[in-house]
Amino acid sequence: MIEMLQYDFMRIALVMAVLIGLTAPAVGTFIVQRRLALLGDGIGHIALTGIGLGLLTGNSPVLGALAVSVLGAVAIEVLRSRSRSGADVALAVLFYGGLAGGVLLTNAQGGGGASLQSYLFGSISSVTVTDLYVVVGLAVVVLGIVAVFGRELFLLSQDEDVARASGLPVRFLSVLIAATAAVTVVIAMRAIGLLLVSALMIVPVAAAQQVTRGFRSTMMLAMGIGVLSAVTGLAGSFRYDLPPGPSIVLLALAVFAVAVVGGTALRRRRAARGALGRAGATPARTKVDAEAEMLGG
Amino acid sequence: MTEAPPFAMTGGRVRLDGREVLRGIDLTVRAGDVLAVLGPNGAGKSTLIRALLGLLPLSEGRTEIYGRPPARFKDWKRVGYVPQRLPMGGGVPSTVREVVSSGRVARQSRWRPSSAADRAAVDRALAAVGLADRQRESAHLLSGGQQQRVLIARALAGEPDVFVLDEPTAGVDAANQEALADTLGTLVAGGRTVVLVAHELGPMEPLVTRTVHLDHGRILREESPLTPRSAA
Repeated sequence: MIEMLQYDFMRIALVMAVLIGLTAPAVGTFIVQRRLALLGDGIGHIALTGIGLGLLTGNSPVLGALAVSVLGAVAIEVLRSRSRSGADVALAVLFYGGLAGGVLLTNAQGGGGASLQSYLFGSISSVTVTDLYVVVGLAVVVLGIVAVFGRELFLLSQDEDVARASGLPVRFLSVLIAATAAVTVVIAMRAIGLLLVSALMIVPVAAAQQVTRGFRSTMMLAMGIGVLSAVTGLAGSFRYDLPPGPSIVLLALAVFAVAVVGGTALRRRRAARGALGRAGATPARTKVDAEAEMLGG
Repeated sequence: MTEAPPFAMTGGRVRLDGREVLRGIDLTVRAGDVLAVLGPNGAGKSTLIRALLGLLPLSEGRTEIYGRPPARFKDWKRVGYVPQRLPMGGGVPSTVREVVSSGRVARQSRWRPSSAADRAAVDRALAAVGLADRQRESAHLLSGGQQQRVLIARALAGEPDVFVLDEPTAGVDAANQEALADTLGTLVAGGRTVVLVAHELGPMEPLVTRTVHLDHGRILREESPLTPRSAA
């Protein structure tokens, strides 16, 4: 751990890992509840065209990815709200178009395999201080949006009709959460890579919801799991010379596996306690339990 | 000054997937009404209240909320909508209190954190439905009747003038139906306007001041029971 801090690029990468670990699951909690788990994946595909455009025109690939993926996210949301049946195919067209376009444009630029690979699977050693500033700025934007619009996004992800009947700007909020997911993809792309970005939005949330009772606690725990997997995965990849993206994602998946087992045991214990209480076998049965039963709990 | 009624629909028609679900509805809900929309399954009851709220567009006719078409209506804090159920979504849990607190959103500025007044309104709503001691629990793990009370508490927390409830008693056992009727009785006693959809009224019957019978998307008949607000 100490050893890796001697390298500039590792210090930058560590700060990035913390920011990715915080932002991806924060946005992911809303995405999962809205049943859009694969949205991030689709945006990742589309972002590749942005990278190709950036490289080809001599501009920053990160800014190219940002512009194209935000536009793509807005397009996805518009397609989704327009029609339910056609949207599925339209989304697929957008995803594959993005991927194919990205590969072609990167090749045309002449960078070829190596640079494409670094965006697809992440490459910590090539990050620069400028990258870091961009990522810090974007992370502030994402966390700011979650803080300011959190209550509205919560109701939107609970029930769109109730959100509408509460006077919320449902269409704007839907586009906002998709665009925020796109920004998060760009934040995570340098370290984790476009093909695995989505995992860090979804897997920590899936792990957290096994053991939590509330939305806020799920988000907080998911952010904790996100930071833990990102930092540990990065350190491990440095120590054992592994690619960082897959290391981070596999760690998050390991936490998920533990949470599933732990959550199942937890629920079984609660259920067993409930059954004992109903059988009247335990004198420790509380008033709350009795009331819960009376109310049909 | 007389205010426009909470809901007024004239010649309302709704088409869903090419089928006409509402066929020419004229209905005015006046302030203080406790209106029950009754009818068999598929009569268009839920469609009617969703159209009244502007959640479904009319293919013909017009509808107004406090004198304005839904698209131009701004004062949503006056309206409390209680849907049939709490959707599971992607399975992220929410506590009872989190769900109820979200009912305050129409009264909150997005730039300010929740105030003491917000928290007090949520406390009152939880107490009114008898779920104050379960506010830290996951709402999705409660029984159907308890979830229904969570949804009513969410609408209560927003302190609206008119409540719109979609089948509040569907799939709710007798004890919970009584509890629901008690909660509704408190609302009615406070002078709130209520529109509810029901298969049968059960213990809510004494509260109702008007009934509308719907079948095949038309209003068959309207009745005003003789014992309005007897529980008030």
